[in-house]
Order: sequence, then C-alpha cells, then structure tokens
Amino acid sequence: MSQLHYNFDWGIAFRHPYSDWLVTGIEITLLVAVVTSILSFFLGTLLAVMRQSRIWIFRMLASAYVGLVRNIPGLFWLLFFYFVFPEILPFGWGARLNACNCYPVVASIIALTVNNSAYVSDIVRAGLLAVPAGQREAAMSAGLSRSQQYISVLLPQAVRIMLPPLSTRMIHNFKNTSLCMAISAPELTWATQQIESLTFRGLEVTALATGFYCAVALTLGGVARMLEKHWQTRIRNEEPWTSRLYGILD
Amino acid sequence: MEFLTEQFGNWRFYLLGSYPTGPVGGLAANLMMAILCLSLGLVAGIVLGLGRLSRHNFLRWPCAVCVEVIRATPALLLVFWFAFFLPSVAGRNLPLFWGAVLGLSAHAAAYQAEIVRAGILAVPGGQFDAALASGMTRIQATRLVVLPQAFRMMLPAFASFAISLFKDTSIVYIIGIVDLVQTGVIVSQRQPNRMLATYICMAMGFFVVCRSMASVAKILEKRVGALSVPQTPPMAVEHREMKQE
Repeated sequence: MSQLHYNFDWGIAFRHPYSDWLVTGIEITLLVAVVTSILSFFLGTLLAVMRQSRIWIFRMLASAYVGLVRNIPGLFWLLFFYFVFPEILPFGWGARLNACNCYPVVASIIALTVNNSAYVSDIVRAGLLAVPAGQREAAMSAGLSRSQQYISVLLPQAVRIMLPPLSTRMIHNFKNTSLCMAISAPELTWATQQIESLTFRGLEVTALATGFYCAVALTLGGVARMLEKHWQTRIRNEEPWTSRLYGILD
Repeated sequence: MEFLTEQFGNWRFYLLGSYPTGPVGGLAANLMMAILCLSLGLVAGIVLGLGRLSRHNFLRWPCAVCVEVIRATPALLLVFWFAFFLPSVAGRNLPLFWGAVLGLSAHAAAYQAEIVRAGILAVPGGQFDAALASGMTRIQATRLVVLPQAFRMMLPAFASFAISLFKDTSIVYIIGIVDLVQTGVIVSQRQPNRMLATYICMAMGFFVVCRSMASVAKILEKRVGALSVPQTPPMAVEHREMKQE
C-alpha cells in the first residue's frame, strides 16, 4: 500500500470565514431545493392538466414546453436565465436584475423550476391517466365541475400513485442544486470550490458536502419509501415495472 | 432570423471545438463522453446489479451501499472527486477529460445497476428455476437464460438513461472542458451582442441529439413491447393442471 500523497486537515471546515460559507451554503442549497420543488410541483401539475385540456391551444403550448425543456440540459437553463434573460428584458429591467446581489439565487430558482416542472408534469400526467376512468365519470355524474373533479377526486388519488417517481424526481432536483455553482449562486458546492481555490483544502470540505448531499437524499428516499408503504394502493401493483424507473431516468 | 443564420458560420466550432488544431470539443466531446460513460457504466452496472441480487451477504451489501451512495451524490461532485481529488490523494496526474469520464461513469454505473436489477427481477422466477431444473449451474442459468431475457426488457430504460446521461455530460463545462455549452459560452463572450443567438444554437445542438435519441427509444419500446417475455396465460396453466389430474 503506497502512502497517501495528501495531508488531511479537517479543521478547515470549522475555521472562521470558511465555516460561515459552508453554513450559508447549506442554507441556500436547502432554500433553493425546497422553493423549486414546491414551485415546480404546482407548475408541473398545471402543465399536466393543460395537456389534458379540451382547448387545443393549451394542449399544444404545454406539450411544446415539456418537449423543449426535457430535451435540453438543466445547466443550459441556469446559464440562460443568468446571462441571457436580463439582456432580452425590455425597459432596463435587466440592468436592475444584474445589479441585485441575490440575482444568482433568483436565477437558479427560476431555472431549476423551469427544468424540473417539465419532468414533474410528465409524472403527474402519468398519475392522472392511471386513475381509473370511472372515477372521473362518477365525479361528473355527481355534478362536480371540471376544476372540482381535478381538485377533489382525481389529483388526490393521482398523488398516491405518483409518489414514488415524484419523490425520486424531487431528490434529483435537490442534487441538481449543485449545478447552481456555475452561475456563482453561493450554495454548498460553490462554497467548497471557493474554499478550494483559496486554501487548496477542497478535499476535506468536498467530502463533508458529499456526506451532506448523501444524508439528505437518502433520508428523503427513506421517508418516501415509508409513505409509499403506508399508502400502498391497488392500482400501483398493476403498473408495468418500468414505471418504477420513471423518476430516476432523465 | 438573420441574427441566427449568421451563427451557422461557427458550425465547426460548435460541433468539433478547435479540433484539427486542439482537442476535440463541442458537441463531439459530449457525444464521445456519453458513449464512453455509457459503455464503462454498463460493464460496472451489470457487475453491481448482479452483485446486489447475489445470495451472499458479502457481495450484496457492498454493492447495495455503492449504488445507493453514488445515486445520492450529485453527478457534479462525482466529477470533482474523480477529476480533482482522487488524483491529488493518489499523487498521480489524470487528464481532465478522463477524470470527467470516470466521474460520469460512476454515476452511470449506479443508475444502470438499478436498471439491470429491475430488469432481472422482472423476468419471471420460473425461468431461473426451470434452468436450474434442467441441470444448469446458477451462473449458467443467469448468463444463458435470465440475462438475455432481461436485457431485452431493459432496452427502453437504457435508451432513456442514455438520453439523460447525454444531457448530464454538459456539467463538464463547470470543470472547464470545452464541450457544447463551453463553446456556446466562448462564442457569446466573443460576440456579446449576439448572446441570444449563441444560446439558441447551443440549445439546438442538445435538442436535435436528444430528440432523435428519444425517437429511437420510442421505436425500441414498441419493438420490445411486442417481444416481451411470453407469460403463460393463467388459463393455459389451469388447463395443463386439469389434464395431469
């Protein structure tokens, strides 16, 4: 066994400016992950409902959006909303955005929401389609309007069916926040790289960051699995096996 | 439209980077990386996926831990580990490109291991038992009976993972490899008033490749649907049992 060519110094993570950067990084990472998850869930649901609308223009717009976003990497949207979006805004709004200190974080929230909502919309759509058609017919014959059908009959059942792919998707979204360092949003990965470039002690802090991402992702996965067991529905067992992979793929 | 068409003068740079004079870049770098990572990841993924289904605890647990930990780590951090930190711990030099390939291959291996595992579990258990009953060893039964059937069913999942991996190769922009994203950014810095056009070109490159891969995936899915493992219909089983009595 050859000797390691590196002297570890784990204290770096607890020294004055660096510890603050890491804590802020964790806060920003969690903030971005939570906000984008919630926003993209609502936007994705809206898109899924639009894709089943009776009005063709809604269907077309939603499908075009999903098709466009799903075929372009998330990193592109981050760079796009950070560099290009302020340029194409009229009335000098862009200059005001660029002057704002928090624009990297805002841009990452917008970009990750745009990216994630397309995937969420596909998951919600599959969930809605998996609710037996009789449910909608029953709701209709009970005199519910279309919005009432969605809110009180279809979506609550769809949520249970789509919980496993949805939770994997949200975990994926949480991991994608690490890409925000490309636009210098001060999240955890950015903090580790900043420490690396100042002190050449990136290995220790990156190890801590990796541990943090793993811990959060595995905990979320465990919670989702518990909920899934709690809610296990009959419909789920009739799904083809590939649907289990839905959320983790692309 | 003119602001967009004049970007096509740069097509060589978008597609190949500064290839004849420098390293391969642009869309070609993304494609090369995706193909390398998919094949390296497939080999490792089959090993990990089979290991997770092993009877032996000493194989099952390490494989399961590997897969779960890598799946819970962002791909970007994996790339950092393989491109920057492992070489510095080992005291060796690793070209950036190969560091990125190894990092993304680790990412691909974990996801493909899950696909392999799900595919094998989807093969009816009777197939394995029948192979054992006809005198095959466990390894023969897996290699000759279970895996060929499982692979056929895994094809659509592999295809959609290939698309997602191709998109993920864009993260090598962050460690400074000149891929399609980096070429777009470089052009947009050279021509700051043409920013939107360069970004549209960048997006188009990804869109065209992903879209065509998606249509291939759809065709595969249809074919596989037609070919999937013949399940004995319950009626036939009843019939056979009745005859035996």
